[in-house]
Amino acid sequence: MTPLRLTASLALTLSLVSHGLHAETAIILNSVDESVSFVDTRSYQETGRAPVCKEPHHLMAMPDDSAVIIACAVSNELVFLDPRTGKELKRIKNISDPYQIGFSPDKTWFVTNSLRLDRVDLYRAADFSLAARIPAAKTPSHMAFDKASQFVFITLQDNNEVLAIDLKTRQPAWRHPVGLTPAGIHMTPDDRYLLVGIMGADYVEVIDWRARKTVTRIVTARGAHNFLPRGDGRHVFVSNRTINGSISLVDMQDLRVVERYDVPGGPDDMEIRADGKELWATARFARKVQVVNLEQKQLSHSIRVGRSPHGVSFINHAPRQ
Amino acid sequence: MNAFLTDLFISTQGWLFDRLVQPVLFALGLAGYVEMGFEGIEFVLMGILELGIAYTVLRPLEAFWPAERWRNRRAVRVDVMYTLLNRLGIIPLAVFTLLAPAFMALDGWLRFHDVIPRQLEDWLPGLDTHPLASFLIYLLILDFAEYWRHRLSHTLGGWWALHGIHHSQRQMSFWTDSRNHLLDDLIAGIWFAGLSLLIGVPPGHFIGLLVTLRLVENLSHTNTRLGFGRFGDYLIVGPRYHRWHHAIDLPEGEAYRHGCNFAILLPVWDVLFGTLHLGAKLPATGIHEDSPDAMAARDDFWGQQKLGLILMWRALAPRRRRSGAT
Repeated sequence: MTPLRLTASLALTLSLVSHGLHAETAIILNSVDESVSFVDTRSYQETGRAPVCKEPHHLMAMPDDSAVIIACAVSNELVFLDPRTGKELKRIKNISDPYQIGFSPDKTWFVTNSLRLDRVDLYRAADFSLAARIPAAKTPSHMAFDKASQFVFITLQDNNEVLAIDLKTRQPAWRHPVGLTPAGIHMTPDDRYLLVGIMGADYVEVIDWRARKTVTRIVTARGAHNFLPRGDGRHVFVSNRTINGSISLVDMQDLRVVERYDVPGGPDDMEIRADGKELWATARFARKVQVVNLEQKQLSHSIRVGRSPHGVSFINHAPRQ
Repeated sequence: MNAFLTDLFISTQGWLFDRLVQPVLFALGLAGYVEMGFEGIEFVLMGILELGIAYTVLRPLEAFWPAERWRNRRAVRVDVMYTLLNRLGIIPLAVFTLLAPAFMALDGWLRFHDVIPRQLEDWLPGLDTHPLASFLIYLLILDFAEYWRHRLSHTLGGWWALHGIHHSQRQMSFWTDSRNHLLDDLIAGIWFAGLSLLIGVPPGHFIGLLVTLRLVENLSHTNTRLGFGRFGDYLIVGPRYHRWHHAIDLPEGEAYRHGCNFAILLPVWDVLFGTLHLGAKLPATGIHEDSPDAMAARDDFWGQQKLGLILMWRALAPRRRRSGAT
């Protein structure tokens, strides 16, 4: 091999290695377009788009990050994608109308909410076999678990309630009234409070779930919708989903808003980079993914994706705490 | 250009949502419906866009190459009203409001009994990742169903009493497509949306399928001499083809007792089921009204609504009497 060829070959190898080390794909779910978009997190460009299934709503990474699961509400299935490449790994059929999905912390249960059909299904996480189908009127939306995996807590959007289901008895345990149109729900790291996004108003309702009592309200902004922990065990982001929306950062110890970022277009689902420098949010009403630079505390990139983007995931994310 | 138009569409949708829909929904405590409200605006904007395209393309055809020349277009006004009610989402919203709860209740009941209705993709798994093929297959199925809905509306006396309103227009234009009795619209909406839900039409396809069929229907009602030629008329329904469907005097023959050329998009259904008629001339359109009321109602929206119900009542009444006597 001539020195010139050797140099060229080394340069190419270094380039590929460098690309492999840093290039990373964000997977964005486009609900109305029924597709997933792939976005290069370095160039902030959409690099591809692929059809996925009928009316996908929400995605989540497997607890071990081995796959990203997409919940396909109308085609009654789960689609598993490679979190690095976005390549389809497998499909599981006959998962009835999955809208929101989640694993219990002990990884025993895989829970699906059927918003359309007023029902919560419990599947055994090991093999996704159905264990129980529980009526949950009306419009079960988001979910959270306690640390012991004894309960799953579900917001009932049109009933203005939180429903607790006992995972041991597989029966509803209690209901607790909350504000107008509850959406996202999140357990604080100390396992003490449930935070509920009150989408019909402008606050997060804080519930002492053991006492079944609302203890306070944290005012964020109109359309308080969804949660994502920052990964530091103390703070959580709250998306305020309106057309001129925003994202609030809430201190879960002091129960107060510490920062707020303007994020237009109806910010909904979020993902945060492992280094904590960037927050990505799907803007449902703008067909965009919005990237917030958390050091500069402002929007840094708007990336065009498909219609009604409803979920974002990348492998290099901060811990879910 | 494409990106500019997309941006314009999205920003218009966002502006309308922000100024008109979102504040009302929040004020009424209906925040859970914001996504539906946002998509509803898209539906209305698509209707406006569709009308814009139809007007831009089809109106010149009517002006410069008409099948009939009219002294004035006064009779068309009522059809414009029907079109606005339809394309601005008022009639589709009513259909949706009536249909959705019943369908959800049925679907929910089935799921609780461990029945997940089979969908086309369960038999053809590859369709999941081939949206164009999936779109075309669903279009074919829905067009087939539309052929039979249309044919039945001519065959069943009670239904024809309603559908006759559509045919009573003697100045048929591209606006006439939406001239339908509201109850006829409701039945058609339940037929189309019910079948779509039953066979699992992807929600993302729904507007596209609807717009495709509606644009072809606008075209086929246009007052123009345009035809697609000897072979083209077998491929897609056009103005010359559909004009025979609206002919005031039907072609002779038992096959055409209730009408001819019922196809909405693809003439193949008329070929297969023996209802095709390709005539050389351009017939006059309308129906032979047999009462002064019917003639008076020809250009009157509320008169047509009332007349449709009365005629339907009369068409169904004899049967009730017969069944009461036995």
